[in-house]
Amino acid sequence: MNMQIPENRKISPFFAFILIYANQIGIGILTFQRLISKEAGYDAWISVLMTGVCAHFIVWMIVKMLGTVEGDILSVHEFVFGKWAAKIAGIVFIIYLGLGMITVLRSYIEIVQVWMFPRLQTFWFALVFLFLVLYVVTGGFRVLTGMAFISSVLSVYVFFIFLFALPYANFANLLPILDHSFTDLLKGSRTMAFSFTGFELILFYYPFLKKPEKVQKWAQLAIAVCTVLYLYLTVITFAYFPEAQIQKNIWPSLTIWKIIEMPFLERFEYIGVATWCLVILPNVCIPLWAASRLAKHVFSIRQRTAVPVFALLCLIAVSMISTRKQINFLASITGTMGFYIDFVYLPLIFLATLLAKKVKKSGPSS
Amino acid sequence: MGRLLKFFIMAVLAAAALSGCVEKNILDDISLVNGIGFDYYDETKIRGTVIYPYYLPEKDPEDKTFTAVSEIKKTILDDIGRQTADPVVTGSLNIILFGEELAERKGILELVDAFQRDPGVGSTLYLAVVEGTAREFLEENYRYRSTVELVSRIIQHNIDRGDLPKTNLQRFLFDYYQRGKTPFMPRLKRKPGKIVDLDGINLFCKGKIVDYLPPDKMFFFKLLVDEYSEGLYLVEIDEGKASVHSIRSKRKFRLMEKDPYKIRVEIDVNGVIDEFTGNELKPATMKKLEHEFENMIKEECTKLIRRFKEKEVDPAGFGHFVKTKIRNFDIEKWRNTDYKDLTVEIKPTVKITQSGVIE
Repeated sequence: MNMQIPENRKISPFFAFILIYANQIGIGILTFQRLISKEAGYDAWISVLMTGVCAHFIVWMIVKMLGTVEGDILSVHEFVFGKWAAKIAGIVFIIYLGLGMITVLRSYIEIVQVWMFPRLQTFWFALVFLFLVLYVVTGGFRVLTGMAFISSVLSVYVFFIFLFALPYANFANLLPILDHSFTDLLKGSRTMAFSFTGFELILFYYPFLKKPEKVQKWAQLAIAVCTVLYLYLTVITFAYFPEAQIQKNIWPSLTIWKIIEMPFLERFEYIGVATWCLVILPNVCIPLWAASRLAKHVFSIRQRTAVPVFALLCLIAVSMISTRKQINFLASITGTMGFYIDFVYLPLIFLATLLAKKVKKSGPSS
Repeated sequence: MGRLLKFFIMAVLAAAALSGCVEKNILDDISLVNGIGFDYYDETKIRGTVIYPYYLPEKDPEDKTFTAVSEIKKTILDDIGRQTADPVVTGSLNIILFGEELAERKGILELVDAFQRDPGVGSTLYLAVVEGTAREFLEENYRYRSTVELVSRIIQHNIDRGDLPKTNLQRFLFDYYQRGKTPFMPRLKRKPGKIVDLDGINLFCKGKIVDYLPPDKMFFFKLLVDEYSEGLYLVEIDEGKASVHSIRSKRKFRLMEKDPYKIRVEIDVNGVIDEFTGNELKPATMKKLEHEFENMIKEECTKLIRRFKEKEVDPAGFGHFVKTKIRNFDIEKWRNTDYKDLTVEIKPTVKITQSGVIE
């Protein structure tokens, strides 16, 4: 398949950083502290580090692999498996991306409903939000990148807001270090991986990046920044809550915001939750774009047709999920699928690519 | 970049379209409750009293109170909503008061839990126990424009400059959930002459009051509980009485021995003398004052800790401190035997740096 993208539709490699960052930071950052502490207690910050290190390796593999085939994940699959298997793998990825979109959007609407407006109807919010998403995605990849940039920059202030928790922080909560077994830490880092997924979307937009040799650097930097950010939030949250209290809070980050008082602002959560709408926008837009691009090759339809179809399916699915149990179930499916794709499947396919390359190289000469 | 501008316009339009989908809370059309009090009613029921400012044209707001009896907090608010002209909203709640009897007999855990569950309630609100009933306390017309403001200001400045350790909803929950630590609440009293008085501290265990510390113990309690604190205390020596203002004190725990545990509490007090009744403050007198103050801290804090152990409470968090020092901490063993066998050594260092502008 020809993966030539016209030069004027490409973006500079720096935006690999923005796109990865925007996709990593999402709904998970509001809830992950509780989930990881369930597994590894207050040693879970070590799990965060472990997952971060793993992500560095995997991103290195992904970029290396894409550089080898000079294309996206479809090219990788075709290179390794051949045309038909590539189509089936494409469908699996479309399902994964769709699930991701639905999970993010529905979880966000749940937050709005619980924290701000209990009477907000899921359907109406999803409808309006998806219109915005459609608008961004139909604008093309460059608009998508621009939006990711705006969303990342505008939401940075939120991370400084967490410093308001410092007067209440008791860092002794984290002591003694290594009170949990290594197995617990591994479990914790597996849970952490659920929140860490998102970088794999570089599998789809890699051909749109100029100067592929520089992509590795920016992608690694994005992972490093995300790891530090997650670590920072973990440490602050663990210092703010005793271990028994964090288990009771579904959204520890939002509960921390309850402590913030400013002279001109009684409560910060409202601003925070509203800001998060902007943060999750790339988390819906980029997968939708990627899914439609996959559909273009797998089903041979136009991308412009695929986008509204997927958006409609997403709208229907989101409106059908109503209870927290269903949301949790969905989130755990998506998380598990993401974990196996990112941390198990991708390293394997990386090795397969290396192997295939060797075989193909030696093939013609023999 | 024209497309990005359009993106913004789209986003604004989306926000405008959605704002019609949710309920509105216009400030003039709601009863914005700023204080709430709970009392013991009978075996199963509690009585709730809410207080909110009622705004009158061209006058200061007046406090209004309403009362209802029910089993849980939410139904109390619903019942009260049937009496008020506007719907009751808890978004700017400032204080929650508990009647003494409720806190002693039934405990307050379920109520506090209801407030931490409520996303509309902030974490910085104050909790306090009141002598008598919360209802009578809230219905009283104090010599101040607003009861809730008065109470929260009393608590606030006593935390900042007085002898009350830092406290609010989050800190209460923190102490409650922290293994090896128990929470406390300030205690308020109505005094004749329409005055509110901060009357000591109540110690809690499992949501119930188990002990009461009078105001003169508060200074030492704060030294033990807060890592950094400030406060005022009267020291007596032969030459006269001096009021020592502790500008900054620092407290540190050190684990000296394990099995049985021994903890050393190092308390550094940096103080100035506000008042001295004797004739002259000579350097020797200052030394004597420092020494006497050190002895008092040692004696009073040791007494307090003995009292904590008797009542099986641990507001200073010795249990949690030990947990941070050893792996595989066993909280049951700590509660049952280790805490009773714990020895705490108080090591105060007092430094008086100033004695006012008069030599």
